[in-house]
Amino acid sequence: MGASEFVEESELHAFVDGELDPERQRQIADHLVRRPEDAALVEAWRRQNAALRGAFAQTAQEPLPVSLQATAPRANANPANASWTRSSGSGKATPRRPVRRLEDLRRSRRRYALVSSIMTLLAGVVVASVAILAFTGSASPPEEAERGAASTGFVARANVAYLTFAKDARPVEIGADRSGELAAWLAERAGFGTLPDLSREGLRFIGGRLVPGAAGAAGLLLYETPRGERVELYFERAEASAAPSDPLRAAPGLAAIEWRAAGMAFVLLGPLPAETMQAAAERAARAISGTAESPSR
Amino acid sequence: MGKSEDFCETLEKLTPGLRRYARALLAGGADEWADTLAQGAIQLALQETRPKETLPCETGEIRICLYAAFTHVAQRKLRGGAPSRLSLRHPVIIHGLADLPLEERETLLLVALEGFSYEEVARITGGDRSLVLMRLMRARAALTALDQRPAAPANAPHRSAGHLRVVK
Repeated sequence: MGASEFVEESELHAFVDGELDPERQRQIADHLVRRPEDAALVEAWRRQNAALRGAFAQTAQEPLPVSLQATAPRANANPANASWTRSSGSGKATPRRPVRRLEDLRRSRRRYALVSSIMTLLAGVVVASVAILAFTGSASPPEEAERGAASTGFVARANVAYLTFAKDARPVEIGADRSGELAAWLAERAGFGTLPDLSREGLRFIGGRLVPGAAGAAGLLLYETPRGERVELYFERAEASAAPSDPLRAAPGLAAIEWRAAGMAFVLLGPLPAETMQAAAERAARAISGTAESPSR
Repeated sequence: MGKSEDFCETLEKLTPGLRRYARALLAGGADEWADTLAQGAIQLALQETRPKETLPCETGEIRICLYAAFTHVAQRKLRGGAPSRLSLRHPVIIHGLADLPLEERETLLLVALEGFSYEEVARITGGDRSLVLMRLMRARAALTALDQRPAAPANAPHRSAGHLRVVK
């Protein structure tokens, strides 16, 4: 090749980064064959690029925290920016608006996160004392609550919900055959109406119901393995559930995985091996973040 | 119309990538800070483009605007150094990254992680192509010194599900 004997280091970088025209790209490739020390450099940089991408690949897949989801809508809602949304007559804008306001509301509530979490804790104490009074008066000490509700966190509530409903003869209120109705109901009452499909993890969707959360309605979706083991996906509004500062505890024999996405707190709970639960949780998280990113949110 | 709506939608679509870049720029040691910076950048991008009659409508252009806004925010906020909680759990490359000066880290990540061209990086960081190349060369030289050791596994298993927490 008539290429220069000496290739500038800057050209090697440009080669790695695809900045050269095809002709020069080819010439440098030829040069590298003749100069193994330059080829080693190029190879090292490529490894660095791959390592960097690998180290942060997961971040872009994660569901966005509420703060980042709500940023753009909030700027729109600002009166000074009103022209941003009002000027647009596109059909797309209409379904988004109510949801965005809800997000705005949530954001402003987050400012009082400290206050509200203290309130939640106080409310928890009140509820717990009432419950203790009620239970000490009753003849049947509820074994299930004792096993599960060691704390007032949402994992504990998920636990109680599991113990209450998963083994019941009528575990769900609306079955999978009426999933449209179920989704609409849960979306309206519990603030979240996606029913993630976990069938690839061997979990058949049975249905769901509304359950009491910390500060209002929470949702419960149930899945079943071919062997009849039941797995629950419990969710409630994240602002209702203070960050679990208390030690998280699932009942014996149950694995639980919790995460937060789309302004909700989720717990996947069931008697399956940890890897299966992890895979199912990841699939559910992806399904949920997919919903959160979709424009029709 | 609907242009401004599209602009917002595009911003939202670009947010996960921006968040990845923010974390990488903080060398994986301060994820909450990274989110705050990303949030600041999105707000700045919205503010800056709003008064203009012509909004950029091409995704590539919007992306450059967004990353330029981020650079602006980051340079202001990170001047005094960023908090970092690196541990041995982080791959070697992250430690190397953390030791680079901010400008070099920025340039390397915009090229290698985010895939911008040199010209685009020059627009984002407010320099020219030769400055971009110089910073890139210095950054890679510093990391190559580290690289004499075997490369870190590209996807360490413990990072596979960052936000999911197993309840014991």
